[in-house]
Amino acid sequence: MDANIVLMLYIIPLLFGTALITPFFPTLGTALGGRWPQYQIPRRQRLLGLNLVLLIGFAISVHTLWISNKISEGGAVCSSSTVFSCDDVLGNAAYNTDPVFGLSWGMIGMVAFGVLLFLANSISKEPDALWAERFARYGLYLTVIGLPVIALLISYEVAMGKICQYCTTAHVANIIALVGFWTIGRMHERGDWNDDEPESSTN
Amino acid sequence: MRYDEEADVRTDTAIKIMALFFASIMFLAFTTDPIASGTKEGQRAPSLEGMSYNGTGWTEFNMDDWLVDNWTETNTTAEWLVVEFMDTDCGFCWEAAEKMGQYADYFSKTNTYEGEIWDGPVINFIANVGELNIQGHESSRAEIEAFRDKTGSEACAKGDCSNRPGNPHTFTYIDDLDLDNMDSWNTDGTPTYYLLQPDGIVAWVSSENPNEELLGAIQRLTGGE
Repeated sequence: MDANIVLMLYIIPLLFGTALITPFFPTLGTALGGRWPQYQIPRRQRLLGLNLVLLIGFAISVHTLWISNKISEGGAVCSSSTVFSCDDVLGNAAYNTDPVFGLSWGMIGMVAFGVLLFLANSISKEPDALWAERFARYGLYLTVIGLPVIALLISYEVAMGKICQYCTTAHVANIIALVGFWTIGRMHERGDWNDDEPESSTN
Repeated sequence: MRYDEEADVRTDTAIKIMALFFASIMFLAFTTDPIASGTKEGQRAPSLEGMSYNGTGWTEFNMDDWLVDNWTETNTTAEWLVVEFMDTDCGFCWEAAEKMGQYADYFSKTNTYEGEIWDGPVINFIANVGELNIQGHESSRAEIEAFRDKTGSEACAKGDCSNRPGNPHTFTYIDDLDLDNMDSWNTDGTPTYYLLQPDGIVAWVSSENPNEELLGAIQRLTGGE
């Protein structure tokens, strides 16, 4: 199957998760709440979206590591003569590991998204716990730490003159997760954090 | 129904995330067999890029264009690669130039060597020319051309480049005067020879085999005579 079609399998749920995190698509939340009543609560919509985005981030990190391994075997997964060629980026030994420990970027992505998934999933399951707000803050900090790493990886792509579309999707997932953790943190601060049914406007 | 009052959802979540992580690692372990990148025997050689001279002009060179993906030993027609790291001001490279030219012609089947015709796979030769950080080692593209073609009046290791031993070379020379390739290949001495399989895996390195000549290594590893 073409690598760009496979990538769409990640992008579609990523967009769905993004739509749930942001308040710009209220009809999606309403439709979801109509089918599953528990998702009428905005907090649950946001957390579902955040978990979905992080799961995609994790899965795409696994996929990039798999591509790196396949390239090292001598295979070609998504090579292209155009600027979009993840084989050229992930197969470049000078750039495909971190400069400190020599770990594959895919492995680093797996660990990062795994930790973020743990934080978001824990908050989803026990939103009223005393640690929930702290976990949201940790998630925000971790995703902010990801920004300079993303900048470094983009600088590598600029140096190579090639773009790895899989890596870019993982970077976007981190940025959306940052927005997601910030959003749920704000909801907690504002007190929009309970499971009460929304009050009717006609009291 | 009884509830565990001490239960913490974080433990349950951590176990699930770890299970997901290890399942992913197992998937990677079962479906891939990665080969480390490096310049030791058995590793995948790093990229080799730069401007190259083939006797007519300078063009972009990328070693990937010379490699065959998914090569297997049953494919006896695929072409191997010898990469020589050299410096035009290196005395040993000057001395080796004659044999390098003879080997390159012999293994590319354009000439015989000591009356023998090579019956193994074609072996392409590439010379990566660096400028070692040693006093008196100052090179240039003009000097690379002069060393390869035995022309001009540039000064090489032991005199005028046009007087180096052997015939003019027919193989490609890469300008690595900034030592980018030498650094990424962790090569600090010249001449150093690498024999690469058609898929880019390092089959033999001169520095790891001080008691074996390049000629013998090629014959032993490629199965030709």
